[in-house]
Amino acid sequence: MSTSLSIFLTIHVIIGVLGVFLFGGVSLGLLKKKISVKMLKYFSLGGLISYLIAWVLGGHYYIVHYGSKVKPIIKAGDMTWAHSIVMEAKEHIFLFLPFLAFVSVVSIWTLGSSLDEMPKFKKAVMLVSLSAFIIGILIALAGIVISGAATI
Amino acid sequence: MNLHLFLVFAHIVGVVLGTGGATFAEIFYLKAKRDGVFEPLEVDYLKTSYFVLRVGLFIIVLSGFGLLVLLRLNEFGDPLLGVKLWAKLLIVLIIVLNAFLIQARKMPMWLGSSLSLTSWYTATILGLWRGIPYSFGQIIIFYLLSVMVVAYVLHIIDKRILKSVTIKK
Repeated sequence: MSTSLSIFLTIHVIIGVLGVFLFGGVSLGLLKKKISVKMLKYFSLGGLISYLIAWVLGGHYYIVHYGSKVKPIIKAGDMTWAHSIVMEAKEHIFLFLPFLAFVSVVSIWTLGSSLDEMPKFKKAVMLVSLSAFIIGILIALAGIVISGAATI
Repeated sequence: MNLHLFLVFAHIVGVVLGTGGATFAEIFYLKAKRDGVFEPLEVDYLKTSYFVLRVGLFIIVLSGFGLLVLLRLNEFGDPLLGVKLWAKLLIVLIIVLNAFLIQARKMPMWLGSSLSLTSWYTATILGLWRGIPYSFGQIIIFYLLSVMVVAYVLHIIDKRILKSVTIKK
């Protein structure tokens, strides 16, 4: 793997995990009776940007390296399911993330503290953010499995 | 200091902050519960402990994934699929889920406290232990039993504190 690809992969992982953390913070923040609007705004925006960067870098790595170099290794090994199930699921399910993140950002930035006066909508935004968090965790875990299958 | 050493150091700092934060959060919680009233200063100490705990968790996860990336880049995949890593990952997920449920008031504190403390210490022990001879299932069963034991111990401590407050009154 070239140095630039190694760097891209590293940033993809770290910034993706950062995005997961930020949406965890957004979900927790929306559970409070009185929300901290400033924290929610910056966490949600930071999470969206993180997911977008992870998407671009992951996509680049997938196209330039994974398909031709890593996938054959996995498919030739004992864990072919790591590609056929885990990676296939990852490359489709991750697409939810930027859109869920976007909805969360728009809701928080446009409504701000008035979310406290709309408990049902606040709960809905919390669930959207929580989905972005949980799916992010699953995507990260899938990445570990795929990396393991590629290097055992 | 190379990158690997830096990440290991950061990971250890995260463990210290997280496990220490969880320990002091529990100590402050039990102290605050004594008179049944949570004074503003006591709440402040609790909030600070939770903040430190969350910072620790953040550092652990980021440095942990950094170490995983290093393993990937060095084509050393065995630990990525190992029992120890996946047990630690599951326990970290339980810590996070527990935090959510406590915040949402869906988790009784007697169980939440035990889950938090046991999870942090189990993850620490797993991290320190080289060559764990147990399967994933065995580790998780031991962990769940530990949660129950710790819950019982905290219950005993709580009753003794309540008893000492009642006697003083």
